[in-house]
Amino acid sequence: MLKEKYAKEIESLLARYPEDKKVSAILSLMHIAQKEYGYMSQEAKEEVADILGIDPTHVLSITGFYSLYYEEPVGEYVLEICNDLACALRGADEFIDMACQKLGVQKDEITPDGLFSIKNVMCLGACDRAPMLQCNLKFHEHLDEEKFDQLIDHYRQRAAEGDDRAHEVVDKILIETHH
Amino acid sequence: MIDGIVELLRGMGITLSHLFKKPVTYQYPEEKRPVRYRFKGRHELKRYDNGLEKCIGCSLCAAACPADAIFVEASENTDAERFSPGERYASTYEINMLRCIFCGFCEDACPTEAIVLEDKYELSFYDRASAIYTKEMLIVPVPEGGQDTPQITEPGMFDRSIPDMENPK
Amino acid sequence: MSDLVTIFVDGIELQVEQGATVVDASKRVDVDIPVFCHHPKLEPVGMCRMCLVEIGMPMRDRATGEPVLEEDGSPQINWGRGLQTGCTVRVADGMRVRTTTDVVDEARENVIEFLLTSHPLDCPICDKGGECPLQNLTMAHGLGESAFDFDSKMQNEKHVPLGELIFLDRERCIQCARCTRFQDEIADDPVIGFHNRGRALEIVTLSDPGFDSYWSGNTTDICPVGALTTADFRFGARPWELIPVASISPHGPEGANITMSTRQEAKSGGRVVIKRIMPRQNELVNEIWISDHTRFVHHFADAADRLTKPLIRKGGVLVETDWDTALTTVAEKLQAAGSSAAGLSGDRPSNEDLFAFQKLFRQGLKSHHIDLAASRIAGGDVTAQVGIASGSNLLDLGRGDVIVVVASDLHEEAPIWWLRVKQAAERGAQLVVLNVRPTRLDKFATHLVHYPVGEAVATVRQLLGAAQISDGASDQIGKIAEAIVGATNVVAFYGYEGLTYAETDVLAKSLANLLQVKNSDGHSHVGRVNNGLIAVWPHNNTQGAWDMGIHPALAPGYQSVDQPGRSAAEIYSGVQDGTVQTLFVMAADPVGDGLMNGRGLLDFLVVQELFLTETAKVADVVLPAQSWAERDGTFTNGERRVQRYYPAIQPVGESRPDWQIIEQIGHKMGLDKPHFAASLVFKKGIAAGVPQYSDMDYRSIAKVEKQYPDVGGEDLYYGGTSYENKHGLGQQWTSAAESGDVAMFTVPDVTPSAAGALPVIRTAALYTPGTLINRSDVLSPRMAQPTLHLHAADADRLSIATGDAVIVSVNGQSLQLSAHVNGAAPQGLALINGVSYAAGVLDAKIETA
Repeated sequence: MLKEKYAKEIESLLARYPEDKKVSAILSLMHIAQKEYGYMSQEAKEEVADILGIDPTHVLSITGFYSLYYEEPVGEYVLEICNDLACALRGADEFIDMACQKLGVQKDEITPDGLFSIKNVMCLGACDRAPMLQCNLKFHEHLDEEKFDQLIDHYRQRAAEGDDRAHEVVDKILIETHH
Repeated sequence: MIDGIVELLRGMGITLSHLFKKPVTYQYPEEKRPVRYRFKGRHELKRYDNGLEKCIGCSLCAAACPADAIFVEASENTDAERFSPGERYASTYEINMLRCIFCGFCEDACPTEAIVLEDKYELSFYDRASAIYTKEMLIVPVPEGGQDTPQITEPGMFDRSIPDMENPK
Repeated sequence: MSDLVTIFVDGIELQVEQGATVVDASKRVDVDIPVFCHHPKLEPVGMCRMCLVEIGMPMRDRATGEPVLEEDGSPQINWGRGLQTGCTVRVADGMRVRTTTDVVDEARENVIEFLLTSHPLDCPICDKGGECPLQNLTMAHGLGESAFDFDSKMQNEKHVPLGELIFLDRERCIQCARCTRFQDEIADDPVIGFHNRGRALEIVTLSDPGFDSYWSGNTTDICPVGALTTADFRFGARPWELIPVASISPHGPEGANITMSTRQEAKSGGRVVIKRIMPRQNELVNEIWISDHTRFVHHFADAADRLTKPLIRKGGVLVETDWDTALTTVAEKLQAAGSSAAGLSGDRPSNEDLFAFQKLFRQGLKSHHIDLAASRIAGGDVTAQVGIASGSNLLDLGRGDVIVVVASDLHEEAPIWWLRVKQAAERGAQLVVLNVRPTRLDKFATHLVHYPVGEAVATVRQLLGAAQISDGASDQIGKIAEAIVGATNVVAFYGYEGLTYAETDVLAKSLANLLQVKNSDGHSHVGRVNNGLIAVWPHNNTQGAWDMGIHPALAPGYQSVDQPGRSAAEIYSGVQDGTVQTLFVMAADPVGDGLMNGRGLLDFLVVQELFLTETAKVADVVLPAQSWAERDGTFTNGERRVQRYYPAIQPVGESRPDWQIIEQIGHKMGLDKPHFAASLVFKKGIAAGVPQYSDMDYRSIAKVEKQYPDVGGEDLYYGGTSYENKHGLGQQWTSAAESGDVAMFTVPDVTPSAAGALPVIRTAALYTPGTLINRSDVLSPRMAQPTLHLHAADADRLSIATGDAVIVSVNGQSLQLSAHVNGAAPQGLALINGVSYAAGVLDAKIETA
């Protein structure tokens, strides 16, 4: 239960908002829920709704609106690749195909080791540096096959070293709430 | 007087000549006269090749009918019991042939070309009740290779009522 | 008024109140600006862009502030650079609006074209087809062709159940958010929401059960396309084939105005049946909303088990008979019993039925032994004196006003009132909620008091005391009293939750006295428009039953009788001890409700009903009555508004209207000949015999006037498919306080009902199983389950957890309930819900099954 596990963080988050506007804490709470459950599972939505005293539909609605909340389980490292027009012109589509092939998965699937999943996203604002991807909020630009291999190896290594889930946004929130 | 006889004989000649021509009389009802391509006779409710009914029970024919001869009642299709593509089918479809004026407005109104005025013209009844043609009487037989309705269908196969949408012309 | 501004719409000058939107203002001069997302009852959002118009303001010289004039002396207008959304722009003085220019037309064409890029063309099968704003506006403003091809249309799911009642067709949704905004702003049940963005956007619900709201049906009315449809009407008929019949909801004391859409149907054996129930606009009563209860509980009228022929007991069994035999038998038996005959009525029949019923007993039999079969709440005599004044409208309450709600869960008991009270609170009215437990209204309360069990009466007395002394006490009760006395207008609702009949009587009278306390200006809160008392009656015509004299001590019009007859309780005991030999029960089921133990020592029991109820099963004669849908009549709602309903369907079997059966019995006993029509019963009986109704007839009740917002006309896009009211706004009868001062009531003493170790009260649920609702299949999954609500501390003590099956013994009956520990019950009080009515605080035994 989030309520118990992150009691202090939740309390300090809620304290930032006036009594009748507690719902405003929803985005941060959802980040915590996503850190805990890996994605916005039914449980996650219900718990957030319960904390704020709102209907879970409200949480679902927000989950669907923002692309950084995942509605389906994702890998430890989410490779979000843009293939909007500018990126596509610089070979993003081929890059996605190559990446999928390398990892042996389709888009939105998770690798068997649970480490990676590939998502197709809309513009990330780095058109001039395409093909590019965003992995857990970190940009990796000017990519090609070789760099992709290095990237994958890098993350595999980090995972092997026991790296915690790298949802930096969440950690940032949590750090802030501690202060 | 001679003129009169000539005229008489000519007239009889015409009559006589018809004896040797092919008769135009049809020995109805043993022999039926073929109808023209655009003849408007009794209605038929059509089926698709797979046997599904074209009629989706939209009642537009009834709305278009100037004689108020058509009565339609719709129900909901399911994949386990499917009569027509899409969600809606006509569970009751009746035409009162005593009221019908064979204007063909129903054909024009039909979005799926389900109702067609065909070539049958033998419409006589002993009482008013039998002038009401029900869906069973109006619907055409299942075409070869098709299945009778209701059918059991794959989910997602027939979820649209009007299969081919086109730009309005 | 000073807050009027002058604007010019297409050259037409009009004056409107400040704050109105351009769309709403234009409507006043019949300039229709097309809209999809805008709705006059919702906050504007400007999402659909359909209402784009040219808006200009008179120019002013920057330096001098003087208006800049054209050469001809008219003000120079600055038309701005582009089009503006008429639904979000508020009117301002001197504003010019152009709605018919080429640039506006082009904008409309483009918006329609855009909306149709992904709207399926399945109008032929769409339930909205024929009354669809998108369809109508496409015909009016659409281009007729599209730059887009059909292959680019999204193909989405067409059959998404949002719960059992409402279905979503994702393809048809045009993302106007009317439904989600309605649920959020008006119904306060934000259980549906938008999911995803852009073309992938869809309406979702996660509540359990799906779309968990008593108001869900209204979203189908205001949906401008066929995206939301009700399970009940799905593919039921095309709108143009339906015959609309004006009616009044036969459920609840609010008297919601409805329209029944009927059609002759082959499925129903060629009978004319009710296909759907839609709201009918009455801004004084229900605006344009109805609850799902009103919308879906109509199937009882067409139920297969309706009584079709009179039944008579022969050789111990009920057999069918003809009307003459049945009526003669009843007349003879009643006449033989004479003034000892007793009559019990339900509070659902029409005023005409109830008047005829009491007349049969009072005039035909010289008996005053008549009463309501199940009286839950007293105070008809009080509301007759100080009830909400005629001409009042709860919509007018707002800042400076106070609404008091005592001992009632309005959301469950009278949802329309809940809605209107909530809205008044949102407009700034102070809401005082007094109850023994938390309810849905608490959230909107300015002053909230959860009194201890059994102290409802004491609390209200305290409040009255504080108001009378007005010593400025700073405790909560003192503050509430001060707010009430000092308010501009006060409306007080009182209910019967956890109270006995005697307690509600005290409650009514104490509140009446509270409203009569004069403030420093010498104003009291009775007899003035938008002030007064409202009883939250259990049924649609309880007020009418009081007015018509279904009371052992009060004849029609609250005239007291010399020798009061037996009350219902006395009749029930008389049935058991043999002092009551002959009983006539109309539209009630005392045996089924556990009020009467079988037929006791009755010699003769006649029951007039729709169904073979438990009481009917033990009767000697059963007379089949017509339901409200089959005939006309009047109901009087809790605000004392007398409203007319009209016949919609053919009578079932040989059933007859209640008043007719009773008058025919009376005729056989030597009374007048039966009237030909309900209107004559009203005119010759009620208007002549009930002073309060003397200025009414069927015509005056059926009067209508123009209502705003202008909903229900041809332009369905504006207000949805709620019907226009062409059949009567009803007429409120004048309370005594309006024609002169009324005396303070003498408040009797009452002992609170006894409480055991863990007191239990029965709480209302809108979908409590019952004779009528049980026949509506569509609502059966939503039916309130028999439940025991416990506070966590009490649950611990009894070692009961959520989901446990428990047995609660109440009044000698044991109920099988499922336990819930969820905060609904305060500590020290258990609630039972979804079970039949039980009065007062119950001494119940709770055991685990």
